[in-house]
Amino acid sequence: MTSAAEQTRGDIVAMLPRLRRFARALTGSLADADDIVQIAVERALMRMDQYQDGTRLDSWLFSITRNAWIDEARSRTRRGKVFAPAEAGEHVGYGGDAEIHAKLEANDVWTAMRKLPADQREAVALVCVEGIAYREAAETLGVPIGTLTSRLARGRAALQAMLGEAK
Amino acid sequence: MSIDDETLMAFADGELPASERAAVEEALAHDETLVAKLAAHRSLGARLSSAFDGALGETTPQRLTDAAKPPRDAEIIAFAPRDKVRWSYREVGAMAASVAIGLVIGVGVMQRPQPMLVTSANGLTSNGALTSALNRQLASDEAGAVRIGLSFRAHDGAYCRTFDLTEGGASGVACHGETGWSVPLISRNASGGEIRTAGASAEVLNAVDRMIAGDPLDAEAERAARAGNWR
Repeated sequence: MTSAAEQTRGDIVAMLPRLRRFARALTGSLADADDIVQIAVERALMRMDQYQDGTRLDSWLFSITRNAWIDEARSRTRRGKVFAPAEAGEHVGYGGDAEIHAKLEANDVWTAMRKLPADQREAVALVCVEGIAYREAAETLGVPIGTLTSRLARGRAALQAMLGEAK
Repeated sequence: MSIDDETLMAFADGELPASERAAVEEALAHDETLVAKLAAHRSLGARLSSAFDGALGETTPQRLTDAAKPPRDAEIIAFAPRDKVRWSYREVGAMAASVAIGLVIGVGVMQRPQPMLVTSANGLTSNGALTSALNRQLASDEAGAVRIGLSFRAHDGAYCRTFDLTEGGASGVACHGETGWSVPLISRNASGGEIRTAGASAEVLNAVDRMIAGDPLDAEAERAARAGNWR
């Protein structure tokens, strides 16, 4: 194992909190999120050469995580299973002193995200949750920037409608 | 001038070129509907952040940090030196067989009726519960004595799968050939029966890296390969 590879491992570990956040936004499920992050980390380690070609680590990992979720979702569809059921009240990682209101509010947001079409959810997760720039988000998803912004606009409008913020 | 929704969104996201920002600011100065839309964008952004930012403050589960780190206690039993030796299943299998006897005995005692690994003329091959799992189990299935990791095609076209012996503290790679599953690599965790999660050790992943042609099978391709009996 080269030291560059060890460095990358360290960088991946440092990225884990963000990967978990992204995966939660993507899956709307705590358990699914950690499962696909684990799959993504294992895949990333197998393909470290691709990263060393000079890709941005965060975009690269987001892309692998997203593909892991696509694979999982596809396999579940083929098995005829529904997606992970809503885990009401269990989504929020705040400590025990967190206000109930905050939990309910977060639960609403998770539920709304789960209802979005996958392509819009990906765009919202990258840009609104992860704060990734449009251009990098488009590259991560492998779509033109205009496609990204249109998915983002539709996803936001749908979320605002579901969460009662449409004006 | 009127500001369309995507322009306003880009403004809210800080993505609007400087040359177009002034027009939006100008419109915001006298268009209350636009001000409300901008506020809705920002409010949504804040709600998304507070709903998902929890992950940043939590302790990352051990299984995820473990997945990113080379296992400290892994003891490599058979390993083909990179670049020097072209991967040969038979050769490495024989090597694995010669040094993995202890493991075979260990696993054999634990699974008394049917050891999961046996030595044969072709080197180390799967047996018993390991053979069943390699034949039938999907990566997404709940693990019993064997957990299946990645499935992939090797350069010679053979289907190979990584596996974890959940109670044997070992993981490895098996490849399907005419006589069943050969096991060109097995790596033992020195700490013994520690249960690892979906875990291919770094040694196994390195081996996969050398052996793999293309990408690992996705769930669909994995099922298709199983349906074709891994041929």
